[in-house]
Amino acid sequence: MKRLFIIFLWIILMIATIVIWTYSYQSSHEEAYVPVSNLSETYIIPSEEGVFKRSEYALEYAEMPIDKKHQRNLNTYYKNRAFYGAPPSIPHAVAERNMGGNSCLKCHENGGYVDKYNAYAPVTPHPEKVNCRQCHVPQKTQSLFVATNWTRTTGAAVGNKALLTSPPIIPHQIQFRENCLSCHAGPGAPKEIRTTHPNRVNCRQCHVINDKNVSEIGVFKRATKE
Amino acid sequence: MIKTITNRRDFLKKMAATAAMTAAASLFPGIIFAEEQVENIKASGNLKWTKAPCRFCGVGCGILVGTENGKAVAVKGDPNSSVNKGLCCVKGYHQTICMYAKDRLTKPLVKRNGRYVEVTMDEALDLVASKMKETIKKYGKDSVAMYTSGQSTIPEGYVASKLMKGAIGTNNLDCNARLCMASAVAGFLTTFGADEPMGCYEDIEHADVFVTWGNNMAEMHPVLFSRMLDQRLRRDVKIIDFATRTTRSSMAADKSILFKPQTDLAVANAIAYEIIHNGWMNKKFVSEHCNFKKGLTNPGYGTEDKFKFKDKPTSIDFEAYKEFLNDYTPEKVSKISGVSIKDIKYLAYLYGHPNKKVVSYWCMGMNQHTRGTWINNLVYNIHLLTGKISQPGNGPFSLTGQPSACGTAREVGTFTHKLPHGVVMNKAHREHAAKIWKVPVERIPAKPTYHATEMFRALDRGDIRFIWTQVTNPMVSLPKVGRYTKGAEKADRFVVVSDVFPTPTSDVADVILPAAWHIEKGGLYGNSERRTQHWNKMVDPPGEAMADAWQTIEVARRMGFEELFPYNKETHEDEIYEEYRLHHKGKKHNMAPLEVLQSQAGAMWPFVDGKETKWRYNPIYDPACSNGKDFHFYGNKDGKAIIWQRPYEPAAESPDDEYPFWLNTGRVIEHWHTGSMTRRIPVLHRAMPHSYVELHPEDAKKYGISNGQKVKVISRRGSTILPASINERGLPTKGQVFVPFFDENMLINEVTLDAFCPISKEPDYKKCAVKIEKV
Amino acid sequence: MPVKSYIAHPHDGKYQELLTELSMISACDIIASENEEIAIVITDTINAVEDEKIELQINSIKSLKMLSMVSGFETGQ
Repeated sequence: MKRLFIIFLWIILMIATIVIWTYSYQSSHEEAYVPVSNLSETYIIPSEEGVFKRSEYALEYAEMPIDKKHQRNLNTYYKNRAFYGAPPSIPHAVAERNMGGNSCLKCHENGGYVDKYNAYAPVTPHPEKVNCRQCHVPQKTQSLFVATNWTRTTGAAVGNKALLTSPPIIPHQIQFRENCLSCHAGPGAPKEIRTTHPNRVNCRQCHVINDKNVSEIGVFKRATKE
Repeated sequence: MIKTITNRRDFLKKMAATAAMTAAASLFPGIIFAEEQVENIKASGNLKWTKAPCRFCGVGCGILVGTENGKAVAVKGDPNSSVNKGLCCVKGYHQTICMYAKDRLTKPLVKRNGRYVEVTMDEALDLVASKMKETIKKYGKDSVAMYTSGQSTIPEGYVASKLMKGAIGTNNLDCNARLCMASAVAGFLTTFGADEPMGCYEDIEHADVFVTWGNNMAEMHPVLFSRMLDQRLRRDVKIIDFATRTTRSSMAADKSILFKPQTDLAVANAIAYEIIHNGWMNKKFVSEHCNFKKGLTNPGYGTEDKFKFKDKPTSIDFEAYKEFLNDYTPEKVSKISGVSIKDIKYLAYLYGHPNKKVVSYWCMGMNQHTRGTWINNLVYNIHLLTGKISQPGNGPFSLTGQPSACGTAREVGTFTHKLPHGVVMNKAHREHAAKIWKVPVERIPAKPTYHATEMFRALDRGDIRFIWTQVTNPMVSLPKVGRYTKGAEKADRFVVVSDVFPTPTSDVADVILPAAWHIEKGGLYGNSERRTQHWNKMVDPPGEAMADAWQTIEVARRMGFEELFPYNKETHEDEIYEEYRLHHKGKKHNMAPLEVLQSQAGAMWPFVDGKETKWRYNPIYDPACSNGKDFHFYGNKDGKAIIWQRPYEPAAESPDDEYPFWLNTGRVIEHWHTGSMTRRIPVLHRAMPHSYVELHPEDAKKYGISNGQKVKVISRRGSTILPASINERGLPTKGQVFVPFFDENMLINEVTLDAFCPISKEPDYKKCAVKIEKV
Repeated sequence: MPVKSYIAHPHDGKYQELLTELSMISACDIIASENEEIAIVITDTINAVEDEKIELQINSIKSLKMLSMVSGFETGQ
């Protein structure tokens, strides 16, 4: 009886070994390729996220006196970017070991005057993304490793209007920058693009995006049958 | 004279400077000039500014159009308009650009042997008149029809009504407002016995709470929404967004509450239940000013041809109504609607709060509804139970989508059952109209004929052989449009289309009459708050394009009705308005005289003793009140409003295993209705080049669809292919897809269902079942 | 009566000189840039002959490196 049991146990173990081995052999031959659907992220319309985010400060913005001495201008604004639409670099010294949430955001979440830099801190349009230095880096040197043919593309000029009195269009892409007031209102905003009416809040009621860096849209054409 | 020349030169110099500065800015981004911001150059020059109401939505903003050398070159908000106080939306600011589109219709076109041939306007009008006469002779009066618009001006609607009802003698006149406002009309008439809101936009400055029912005001009524946001910055104001989809309005709202499609009926009843059971009912108001009634239930959905339904109202008492509401406890309704018990109670609390002024806003969400009249009634119930109505900051307010849905469609009455004052079914009303029109009263038939959907079904069947559409684009906007396009193309159908641009509707026309656009003619519009607004012609129409009203008059004269249309070409708009005013004489609906409308940015009717009426039914503001009480709902004979017992009933077509998604359709801020105007404005086209289908991210993941991929939306009636939009403009709930309807190249109305509200006959564009396929 | 606008570029380091030179011509308005070394010049003359004269006069300024016309209007009488 005891011998029979041991033989039985052996048979069980043998079968288990064969099954496991076969299974693992087969699964090792399965294709490592996982079908990926064609992710053509065609950009249709901008997200609405954060459209009204800073609107609670709109009235304060409207009532804020303009500090003419410490205004930023578009020139320095564009110069701080590698190209039109690139994340700006950090123009001041920063501690190496930090996370945005408890350092950068202290000044850049709501802005305000910083004596040390004799300027107003620009407000970030995306304070929820706290790993700031994923995209924003300081410039520790002005020299280059090797010379480059790269030239900066020009940014949009102010005054993009279709009619004399119509509201300017939005000439730039707005992903992560859906919140207009953070850059277009307050003392940290470049003076040329500071809105005269932050209290209107629903910006995209009048200003629509006409920038399509992906492809030229052109004018409307009917799809006629003929 | 010298002054204008210097002004003009200054202006040109500034233009030249602007051009150079713009050029310099493209060379040196961020360049600053001593004169900062190009905007600082005030290009007022010697533009001539003329006032008008905006061409687009029913808000009716006042605009100023700048013209120079016979061209419209600028638009700004009219600071003197109490509607918008100088602010417009992106469509408003750019509207005049569409006039200069290259494919403008400038010559009449007649289809001969399948091809369009240019003819003179005289030939075209002769042909239309003779064809109309011939059709009447061959098939009878009821074989000819006119289909007009909530964008028709008051004179345009008036002459159409006079021609069809007074001259020819058929009630075959309906308009596209049937597709957008009919449920609101039926709701007002059943509850108050008189059409149009009691309140006005000034409510916004007084209210504490705004509840928007299935309404995305941030995009569709942006200027009013801005007025609300303005108030919220200054006062303690709450905006509650009650909808089936997360939109830009939800982002701005203080609270967004989502419900399952069609269950707004149940939630409205649950709010009434809570109000009564928590003792928040205004007993004095209800006992003095309200009656209770119920109507028939299970009236059907009108998807079959020649559908007929007539409601039978019966009086009930308060106890019976209270008993009925027991089916709508928050607990039960929460299960039907997917709205949490807490949220239902919160809504009821806001409505029931004795010290909070509440305004309810709605537009297509409640009107384009197979129980549209019912849901309108149910929201009125809430305001009547609490007595929050007809006072500054308190009241239900039905918004309109078209610039003159109120002014023309509803007030002039370009519906089959309507007359400029009253309805065709009423003998006294017929006599009133016949007297002013100077026609025999027998000529006006007492029976309504076809409402919009049925009119095009009749064209398909052959009951109607001749149809003339003006200022509208039904071959994009009708539900289940595939059937009607084919119907219009059938042999022995004669279709006349008056339009400014070629559209899918003009594609099926036998005669295309080029029309004058908005400011190329004079006219009057009436907006949502009963405000009538006048404008003068500012620029000449191109080619042979002609004002729609004048086209109708020309055809009427050619048919032998000269004596009924004795107007002068130059001044016909004003002459017609003066005649039209006669219909509405009296304290309840008096229209403002022309001098007033010419000098200011509109006036609200009833316009009595030189004053407009802001809040109707309230004797403090409304001179028509005569019962000596706090309120007088004089639309009904006994002066009381009606609280209706209306149950929840499911939609005409709900998702099932085969078609698992709800299809919801609507608009976007950039485009207006079928886009025939706004898509020809480059700024707007570039901002929104085509339609799309919004999916919930989880649904998209399940079908392996990523943003921008082509998706086929299929219903039992048709299909269309659109790019997917995930987490962009709007976010539909799981199991729902949303498609804007403006795109004639991606016709979603091939997919929609032509079910309608049995009382108002307004189709439901917001609910039908579809499936989706990745293409 | 032509109205024309130009962008004027100075030779290196001659920006201020250019501005003073330009300001001495009465028939043209100047809008100077604050942060880049260019200026916008707008001329306003009675007729085409005068206009050519002015253009020549501007082009003869030594500190001017380049003058590029941006736009022009003919206003009639």
